[in-house]
Amino acid sequence: MINLYPLKEFEFPIIAECINPDIFQDKTREDIEKLKIWEGNRQRKLEELFKVKATKTEDQAEETTITIRGDVSKVRKIGAKMTNGEIVIHGDVGMHLGEEMEGGTITVHGNVGGWAGSMMKGGTIEIHGNVGDYLGAPYRGSSRGMRGGKIIVYGNAGNEAGAYMRKGVIKIYGNTGQFAGLRMHNGTIYVQEDCEGRAGACMTGGKIVVGGFLESVLPTFTIESVKKNVKIEENERVEGPFYLFLGDLTENSKGKLYVLKEKNPHLSHYERLL
Amino acid sequence: MGYVKRKMTIVKAVTCPVCGSLCDDIELTIENGRIVKVKNGCAMCESKFLSHNSEHRVLKPLIRKNGKLVEVSLEEAVKRAAEILAEANYPILYGWSSTSCEATRVGLELAEEVGGVIDNTAVVCHGPSILSIQDIGISSCTLGQIRHRADLVVYWGSNPWSAHPRHIERYTAFSEGRFQRSAWKGYLTKIKASIAKKKIESALRRVFFRRKPSVPPQPRMELPPAMFKEGRKLIVIDVRKTKSAEIADYFMQVEPNKDYELLQAFRALIRDQEIDVDEVAGVPVGYLEEVADLMIRCGFGILFFGVGLTMSKGKLRNIDAALSLVRDLNMRTKFVIMPMRGHFNVAGANTVFTWQTGYPYAVDFSLGYPRYNPGETSVTDVLLRGESEASLIVASDPVANFPRKAAEHLVKNPLIVIDPHMSVTAQMADVVIPSAFVGIEASGTAYRMDHVPLPLKKVVDPPKGVLPDEEILRRILSEVRKLKRKMLVEAA
Repeated sequence: MINLYPLKEFEFPIIAECINPDIFQDKTREDIEKLKIWEGNRQRKLEELFKVKATKTEDQAEETTITIRGDVSKVRKIGAKMTNGEIVIHGDVGMHLGEEMEGGTITVHGNVGGWAGSMMKGGTIEIHGNVGDYLGAPYRGSSRGMRGGKIIVYGNAGNEAGAYMRKGVIKIYGNTGQFAGLRMHNGTIYVQEDCEGRAGACMTGGKIVVGGFLESVLPTFTIESVKKNVKIEENERVEGPFYLFLGDLTENSKGKLYVLKEKNPHLSHYERLL
Repeated sequence: MGYVKRKMTIVKAVTCPVCGSLCDDIELTIENGRIVKVKNGCAMCESKFLSHNSEHRVLKPLIRKNGKLVEVSLEEAVKRAAEILAEANYPILYGWSSTSCEATRVGLELAEEVGGVIDNTAVVCHGPSILSIQDIGISSCTLGQIRHRADLVVYWGSNPWSAHPRHIERYTAFSEGRFQRSAWKGYLTKIKASIAKKKIESALRRVFFRRKPSVPPQPRMELPPAMFKEGRKLIVIDVRKTKSAEIADYFMQVEPNKDYELLQAFRALIRDQEIDVDEVAGVPVGYLEEVADLMIRCGFGILFFGVGLTMSKGKLRNIDAALSLVRDLNMRTKFVIMPMRGHFNVAGANTVFTWQTGYPYAVDFSLGYPRYNPGETSVTDVLLRGESEASLIVASDPVANFPRKAAEHLVKNPLIVIDPHMSVTAQMADVVIPSAFVGIEASGTAYRMDHVPLPLKKVVDPPKGVLPDEEILRRILSEVRKLKRKMLVEAA
């Protein structure tokens, strides 16, 4: 198991694509210390910014675990493109955490910046804090969002969570900003608390479940029915009743938007259309 | 005998370096090296041309020593600027929208050399439009085509009467096109009637001193007859009744921050979908249906959108919806869309950035190659997170218009300003290098809002010792290269 401790409070953005179990695998501590990392516009070695400490573990699975302790909120692209292993972070993390990851697990005990799990294809990201905008969303201009895997956020999420999502599950146990599930094609987004609005804008498929207050439903969604409960994952159902809206009409599509009836009395006027 | 012959010349077809309309029919009268008369221009144009040698000019390079700005030689200022940039980790280079494309090109070379983040003012105006264009695509055309062919003009979240004063007159409703007549006579009558109405109302108020202000008129349940006339029609959609809205054939008032809902509703209606609600963004759906019908029935429609759409809630997604609306309309008729760019060469800055780096703004050279991700590499966000170490500002005043926290970080670190004026940013700077006004004292190229490049003329000489932006940047660049070579030798 490799432990990383930041040596100072970082001032400039740090691009640390090398902090990845795939790269650390089969490397000695000395090799890891020599890995290249960018601080602002200067290239440095990992040892110049982090104290690297290797600890022996009995468990074979824990051999490939990377643990980071400290504030790494300026450090970007941790675990990008990882395919297996585990990263555990005790502290805040910067942008692009687990970008394009294909497998393995990332657990964060702190807050995370934007583009977490951007374009991920597999694996799990668990965040025990808040997360920034564009959770699981693609890079600018791309229409290929999250294509698999699972993201669990126990705090709040920013705007455009799960934009252009194609597959996988995003569960947010706090609040979320605007445009959750923007232009999503498939997959599931569950928001336990409130949602700022415009959920599911331009969606063409998939499922968004809002368990709290939703400011307003876009005019381009039509009410379909009231459902007793909704399935989130295998063996996981949320009890309702939920209003089921279909949309987005502008894309001639039938994506599903479930909104908890109890928390949204302002949507009761839709009932006359049922 | 007491008679001095005045040397007076008239320069025609000058391009105005103020707003994105880039009017190129300005006539200047020059007397003894000074502009004395401006013809054809709007108030902003006149004021810029006439005040090029005002008291707010900086004429000598300045460097901050012991907390005070003192005059130095140009060489010293350039050397100091080069030192700051070469030594900085993660410097930012910002501005570029009010200078020539040629200067921007040198700026990009400099950004690559120093490994900095280079950004133009699009980041605080039409950046969201660019992001959406990359997502959706844009169907656009030149302003000339609009002038000759457009029979339906929509301004959404923009007030051209005040911000682009000659836009309506040169390119849209009031312009005389080959296939479309100018509608100015109708508007003149309308304005006269409205002035008369206001006068009568105010007279009545004065006569009946204690009379309550008149009740606001109830919204009519149908579109005004002007919308069904032959020829050009002008629609303004905005959150408040602006001057442009007053001259429009139809003004649709949208609830603040509800533009996205309205645009999406239009899209659904154009796709013949039924809407469950009776009202969207404060507008009855019946109205929307009629306007959507008008949009479909037009021969050539144009949607101009301004910062009212890009910078209100929803930002880039508002533009997403607007671009998609135009795409949907093109299934039924011919419709185009264009952002109302603010600074005279912001479109040029975007163009030069794109052909040099592949990206239109917010380009990060810190890893040696261009990277682009607005939100991460945009200057406002870099400053808000407090990540930069030094800044070079060219032809812009970010201290006056950036968020306070961003401005605070900007002035905390070494700051170099290249500007003709003693702007707020220049007053806070460590190095100030005066430059010539592009389009008045220096020539160059600028791109109009429809991406048509136009030449900027040099009509008068700059003050002695004052160089154009391009030349100053070249000198800084060569100084930076010298320093970098020296650093390499020392490191070896």
